[in-house]
Amino acid sequence: MKKTAPNKNSNRKRKITMTIREQTQCRFCREKKKFIDYKDIDTLCKLLTNRGKIFSRKRSGNCAGCQRKVNQAIKRARFMGLLPFTA
Amino acid sequence: METKRVYEALFLVDSALAASQWDHVMGIIHKILDRAEARVISVRKWDERKLAYEIAGKSRGTYILAYFECGSSKIRPLERDVQLSEEILRVLVVRTDRMTQADMEKPTPAMVVHVDSDAAVQPAAEAVEEAPVQETVE
Repeated sequence: MKKTAPNKNSNRKRKITMTIREQTQCRFCREKKKFIDYKDIDTLCKLLTNRGKIFSRKRSGNCAGCQRKVNQAIKRARFMGLLPFTA
Repeated sequence: METKRVYEALFLVDSALAASQWDHVMGIIHKILDRAEARVISVRKWDERKLAYEIAGKSRGTYILAYFECGSSKIRPLERDVQLSEEILRVLVVRTDRMTQADMEKPTPAMVVHVDSDAAVQPAAEAVEEAPVQETVE
């Protein structure tokens, strides 16, 4: 019995690691969006700090391609006065 | 042969001017698009909102969304026309290659707010009535 106990524990650990998985795709890839609209301010606002800075890729969880599209969209929105440069 | 593409343009106009002289503003936009020899697909009001920062001393603006087809060499003159115009504050012209037809025909925030405001009139009135009651309790 004593020999089997550690094996059970190791099995449990494995199961836990298999079940709890982080999101493998970024929020835009999950929705399969082909482009990110600069007029869609509600989604872009979620990717900005209170001061109007763009969140890093690490913080927002975007993939590299989507982060570039987001950057482009936010900068377009800023130019049109939809989002602040600074706050 | 010059390639023709479908473009999206968002014009920014002072909201006071747009409210008082809407036809005049639309006339200017159509004139600018005509000068660019564009085939206009649609021109409509996108939204009227507070600007994130002041542009030309204005804190509120009306956005007008236009879709049109024209040659790529006509975009720069179009932007120049807008810069010379006194009524239009800014324009952003973007290619719509990756947009679907549904994206282009999506209802604008102005339309959505208009529909919601009719439904939201009653709750707002109730909230106003509730406020003085709380003051009397205190």
